[in-house]
Amino acid sequence: MARCQGTVESLCQGLLDLDDDKFGAMCSAFGYLQEWPDLGAMCGASLGAPAAAAPGAGDGNDTSSCSGSAGAGGFRKRRPDAYLDAKGDGNDMSKRPRGKQQQLGGLGEIAAPGKGKQERPKAGTKKKAEAASTAAAAGQKTDYIHVRARRGQATDSHSLAERVRRERISERMRYLQELVPGCSKVTGKAGMLDEIINYVQSLQKQVEFLSMKIAASNPVVSFDIVEDLFGRQLKQACNPAALPAMALPAGQLEPACLQMNPMQQVHPSAAAGSTGFGLDMVVNNLYPPPAAARCPVSAATPVTAAAGPSIEPCLNVNGAAAAAAWDIGSQNLFGGFDAQFQSVESDCLLDNLKMEM
Amino acid sequence: MSSRRSSRGNISEDEINELISKLQALLPSSRRRGSGQASTTKLLKETCSYIKSLHREVDDLSDRLSDLMSTMDHNSPGAEIIRSILRS
Repeated sequence: MARCQGTVESLCQGLLDLDDDKFGAMCSAFGYLQEWPDLGAMCGASLGAPAAAAPGAGDGNDTSSCSGSAGAGGFRKRRPDAYLDAKGDGNDMSKRPRGKQQQLGGLGEIAAPGKGKQERPKAGTKKKAEAASTAAAAGQKTDYIHVRARRGQATDSHSLAERVRRERISERMRYLQELVPGCSKVTGKAGMLDEIINYVQSLQKQVEFLSMKIAASNPVVSFDIVEDLFGRQLKQACNPAALPAMALPAGQLEPACLQMNPMQQVHPSAAAGSTGFGLDMVVNNLYPPPAAARCPVSAATPVTAAAGPSIEPCLNVNGAAAAAAWDIGSQNLFGGFDAQFQSVESDCLLDNLKMEM
Repeated sequence: MSSRRSSRGNISEDEINELISKLQALLPSSRRRGSGQASTTKLLKETCSYIKSLHREVDDLSDRLSDLMSTMDHNSPGAEIIRSILRS
């Protein structure tokens, strides 16, 4: 108690040093603070920190000698908040005018010595209350949550905790609702969750598709992307339905096929640039032998060995057959790579992905 | 209380839980951590940040792609093809 008194006094001392406009600003802040009980009365048993802190502040104002401890008690305990509910409403009427008076006094004559002195201790306690409210705001982030029970609601700790949990969840859901377009139209948690899941999936696909396109249009630079892509793209690339969709007309593919030598590791700068997407994809996916050089040699050799034969057929066929053979070949290729990379590089790939995130 | 709620709304708790776990499977962090059931609050928080990071990534990638497209020769057949792919 003595310590508390001491801090109040020191605060008062600090207040005496304040100059005019600072004091005015603080008083107006207190006026703002005074509005809170009013708000609390307005929305009855609203949950949340500021309204809950306000009764504590009011309490501190009443018993100015032990304001610090009272305020602290107000925001530390949960049940007293519920208990204070009615009290805060009752105090409210008598407190508001006083706050206004004080504000006027603070702004007007600080010169009047007697009045000023009488007032300043109060202002000190109010500063305390303000500190308590900010501490309450901080407390909301940590352990202490302010809950107020409506009339008839349970006030035991389990119910309160459950209420807090639900409150938090619905807050997050509201936030997600803002984040996810089209989510505000959906009612009900299940629909919203469904929408969120769809949205996340579509975003993931979009990211994959975009990075794929970048990798395709920029084969030389985007080595790391190709590597990253290996982790998550191969599954899709292996999908037989996906490849023909991306493949070019067979006629365009043909010269590229002939140009491609799997062992040579050509940088397909001009050639691949002009032959387009489907080829670039495959060329990019052929790259990982250099990447595989990071793997043990025993792992790297089968990869190139597997790549060789599967590419071969493509070099000899033309026209419509080329596309089909290309598909098959690339599937084999992907399969080979897939197995290798799944086993060897999955860990570091995952790390890469994490870095990208 | 819970029975009253489930009878009032036509969504069951199980359905919600299923959706929650489905959402959890989508998140990278929870996928790594394994199948341990995190709290719903945490999960939703992670979803928020994940969506934000995905947004950022999409923006970044689109920027890069548009840069690429601008530096590319517009008349080359490759650019033509990529454009057609982009449109689709």
